[in-house]
Amino acid sequence: MKLDPTSTKPIYLQIAEWLENEILQGHFQEDDKVHSQYTLAEMFQINPATAAKGLTALGEAGILYDRRGLGKFVQAGAREKLKEKRKKVVMETLIEQLIKEANYLNIDKKEVLNMIESIYRQEGEQ
Amino acid sequence: MTVISCIDVNKNYRHHRANEDVSFSVKENTITGVIGRNGAGKTTLLKMIAGYLRPTSGDITVFQKHPYNSLTVSYNRIFVDDQMVFPASFNLANIIDMCQDFYPNFDRKFAYNLIDYFELPLKRTQYELSKGQKSSLHFIVGLAARCPLTIFDEPTTGMDSTVRKDFYRALLKDYIAHPRTILLSSHQIQEIEHLLEDVLILDHGKLLMHESIDDLRAYALKVSGDAQLVKKVTAERDIIYEERIGNNELNVIIKNDGSFQTYDDRISTEGLPVHELLSYVTKKRKGGIDDVFHK
Repeated sequence: MKLDPTSTKPIYLQIAEWLENEILQGHFQEDDKVHSQYTLAEMFQINPATAAKGLTALGEAGILYDRRGLGKFVQAGAREKLKEKRKKVVMETLIEQLIKEANYLNIDKKEVLNMIESIYRQEGEQ
Repeated sequence: MTVISCIDVNKNYRHHRANEDVSFSVKENTITGVIGRNGAGKTTLLKMIAGYLRPTSGDITVFQKHPYNSLTVSYNRIFVDDQMVFPASFNLANIIDMCQDFYPNFDRKFAYNLIDYFELPLKRTQYELSKGQKSSLHFIVGLAARCPLTIFDEPTTGMDSTVRKDFYRALLKDYIAHPRTILLSSHQIQEIEHLLEDVLILDHGKLLMHESIDDLRAYALKVSGDAQLVKKVTAERDIIYEERIGNNELNVIIKNDGSFQTYDDRISTEGLPVHELLSYVTKKRKGGIDDVFHK
């Protein structure tokens, strides 16, 4: 992944999201040790304090836990927690935007649902 | 631990005031960016911290000492800019050897590896180098010295963009391996933003902001769209800058307190990248370069 330096999203949040993705994709399992702030700083060419902030954010969200002197580890059930969170945040925002845009273009609910149906068919429902 | 502390620092030169009531402090082992337009007072401030200049009034302490004429400070810091002076007859190899005698933490091997990587001619003197090569040499000395306080004042003058990127990368890597307090001035904030923990923004000699880089990224919002609507929704807000685009459109930069929201589709709200924020907060209060042509 590349960080987006032009985004106004704080870099530490981008780091946190990247780690979340790694956990979601199963690259880190429960009780696995995740990268240290220094490894992250090297990987992404960022200030280690920024990387530490990202790790702390995940700690506060209950995704990682601390082992004093050893580093941060993936909390049991972290993946499910993240899936739920993503579902809520990502899907709801996208759907909100979709409805807003549809209102703007005077497309009614039925038509929107039809469009979703047809795109599902094209993509092949999974 | 606090390494640098400035309280109400002023510096007057004969005809102008270079720094005015500057107060801030810098923690140990952080990288702080010193940002500002030309003539904003960056170099003067850095030179006072290094102990080259004495403040007209106010108090500066570096490692608990007044830096001017302090042996402790000069022993523990290095000041890198494009005017570092080495003995004229020394070639680069001599200079590196001299630096090793001078700076207690100097890493000679690291310095030679960098010289090799950047293909600097060891046999030549400082005066036989190009502008970019000179800056490279200074940067190398600054890095390899590993001083507890390392000050880089526009260290990349004359370097091409690939070399600049390499140096900033080297700076970060070496900082991770050997943490120290670093001040880094530049007017190209995009190039150094990712390295920084905190930022000092100077404008006309005054300290405009001292924020963490993450707070700066979320500092302001740009609200744009139909002039009347934008005026209305931003009326109660803390406005940093306003600019008209054509007759009917308005951009307003407001401070982001986290509460601003608008559901009106005719108005767009977006965050502001740090370099744009910077250009807004340090802009002349009225008008721009265009106005010069209407006078």
